[in-house]
Amino acid sequence: MNVLAFDRTTAPPQLSAEGLHLGYRDRKIIHDLSVSIPPHKLTVIVGANACGKSTLLRGLARLLAPSAGSVYLDGRSIHQMPTKAVAQKMGLLPQTPVAPQSILVADLVGRGRYPHQGWFRRWTRDDDRVVGEALALTGVADLGGRALDELSGGQRQRVWIAMALAQETGLLLLDEPTTFLDIAHQVEVLDLLTDLTRHQGRTIVAVLHDLNLACRYADNLIAMKDGRIIAEGAPREIVGPDLVRQVFGLTARIVTDPVSQTPMVVPMGRHHMAVAAE
Amino acid sequence: MPNPQDFIDIGADVAGIREALARRRWLVIIGLGGLLVIAFGAAMILGDYPMSIDNVVRSLLSPLTGETQKGIDFIVLGLRLPRAMVAVFAGMAFGISGALFQNVLRNPLASPDIIGISAGAGTAAVAAILLLHWGGGMLALAALGGALLTAAAIYLLAWHQGVSPYRVVLVGIGIAAVMAAIMSFLFTRARLVEVQQAVTWLTGSLNGARMSDALQLGLELAIISIVLVPLSRAAGALELGDDKARALGSGVERARFLLLGAGVALCALATAVTGPIAFVALMSGPVSRLLLGPAGGAIVPAAMTGAVITLSADIIAQHSLPGVQLPVGVVTGGIGAAFLILMLIAANRTGRTA
Repeated sequence: MNVLAFDRTTAPPQLSAEGLHLGYRDRKIIHDLSVSIPPHKLTVIVGANACGKSTLLRGLARLLAPSAGSVYLDGRSIHQMPTKAVAQKMGLLPQTPVAPQSILVADLVGRGRYPHQGWFRRWTRDDDRVVGEALALTGVADLGGRALDELSGGQRQRVWIAMALAQETGLLLLDEPTTFLDIAHQVEVLDLLTDLTRHQGRTIVAVLHDLNLACRYADNLIAMKDGRIIAEGAPREIVGPDLVRQVFGLTARIVTDPVSQTPMVVPMGRHHMAVAAE
Repeated sequence: MPNPQDFIDIGADVAGIREALARRRWLVIIGLGGLLVIAFGAAMILGDYPMSIDNVVRSLLSPLTGETQKGIDFIVLGLRLPRAMVAVFAGMAFGISGALFQNVLRNPLASPDIIGISAGAGTAAVAAILLLHWGGGMLALAALGGALLTAAAIYLLAWHQGVSPYRVVLVGIGIAAVMAAIMSFLFTRARLVEVQQAVTWLTGSLNGARMSDALQLGLELAIISIVLVPLSRAAGALELGDDKARALGSGVERARFLLLGAGVALCALATAVTGPIAFVALMSGPVSRLLLGPAGGAIVPAAMTGAVITLSADIIAQHSLPGVQLPVGVVTGGIGAAFLILMLIAANRTGRTA
């Protein structure tokens, strides 16, 4: 019997944007951006505040209609596809998701089944199994009967990820999934995302704040500034002092992370400088 | 990675939790149904001429049995039954309307009586009474038109690349204030007799409820409820916020328009018959959510809560003071004001935005 959540998407999902312009009313945020998301990989978008990284994610998730250009999912323009068809291929976790008061974890995760149900196709045993899988994969299986409001921040974030997993999509977009979490929970969530790409072949795009964790966990790093992509590639290949200065306006020294052998950014400020800045 | 057998076991747990929630939902619905039956019975039996249960049942069944009990039939079928039916249908309409607004706008204070729909109906009715000297059916039409026009105005003023729930609430509260100002202005220019008539209408009353009103409102309620059934899925998605609902493949803007449209129609149609019965729309959703706890889907329980509140309040309004019949809106207003204060205190305690 086939129980593992995920062999249903053997064809790798193809997500790309071409000549994308995004903005809110007359404020343009993304200018003529083109990008292609590598399948089965964890892609991380980084950049300074207000660089347009969340806007790009919202654009890719068709939450924001582009003023020009287009986003393509499996070769079709996402804006011309039925929204339900998109939802069967791509899930999204917004930055600050809201839940009905006193909702139970199992109920919330079950709401992820929405795009697979309809007027006539309601809840089935298969839906229960998928929700069970999502709870197990995110390590919250024993929390199913608890109210979301009672959980800690880390548990809550896992539940939201479980809900996105219950949507059974090959593509997952996450907007700052580690905000509000302490360092241990940040590592835990990023380990989970890595599991999902390596063991289940999901394609994940996440916006992250922490540059060092991004460098460690990203298979593919996208560095943005002022609504443009400055560099894109494996962190080892693209992260250097020049990139950090260009993207964050920060002088930093790049050392090798002793644990992961990936680049590690050590910022240089005005104080506590035992060595001189170059 | 966990092993596959775990998934099946956890899936069974999930099914168990879902079934427990469904059970609780049914318990709430059955409990409210019981209360409604009791209130309905009381409405038939109590009055200046107390009836025996036997007489009431025989009279209610008389269209089938052909039996006649002249005086009793007049009181039960001619007076008490239409009044109770209008109370139930109007209560259901207000209850659903409030629950829809609160659900779609994700705000427990966002009910049609707070964000200007009732005020719009009221202003139109007051203008019709004071300026055009209308009454009866024309007055109902004026109230209906006022509610629909106000709703359209709120929706258009709140539009900005789609309608955000927050803007609807703010614009609605603003419109309610404008409507109150217009009403005050109309009152200052009016004659006292007409002012009395207008104020009575504004309080919301079931006096003089006719069977034709009851049947018409019941039919309208049934039609809108049927329209709401396929929309209930989208209502569940909207609870998770616009972004998440869109990501789940729900047509957010269309669903919100249709759900709010249904809410406005229900509120407007009920208001046209009874006047704005204060706070029923505001209270029904939160009360039923309190009963439901973690079990979602508040719309049906809110309808029943609205009916129970309105019918019970009308019984209190008719019989609490000897010799005085209060308009039902006075009683719901009193209960509702206390409820609103409790709700604000609770919201303040938990630190949630009410």
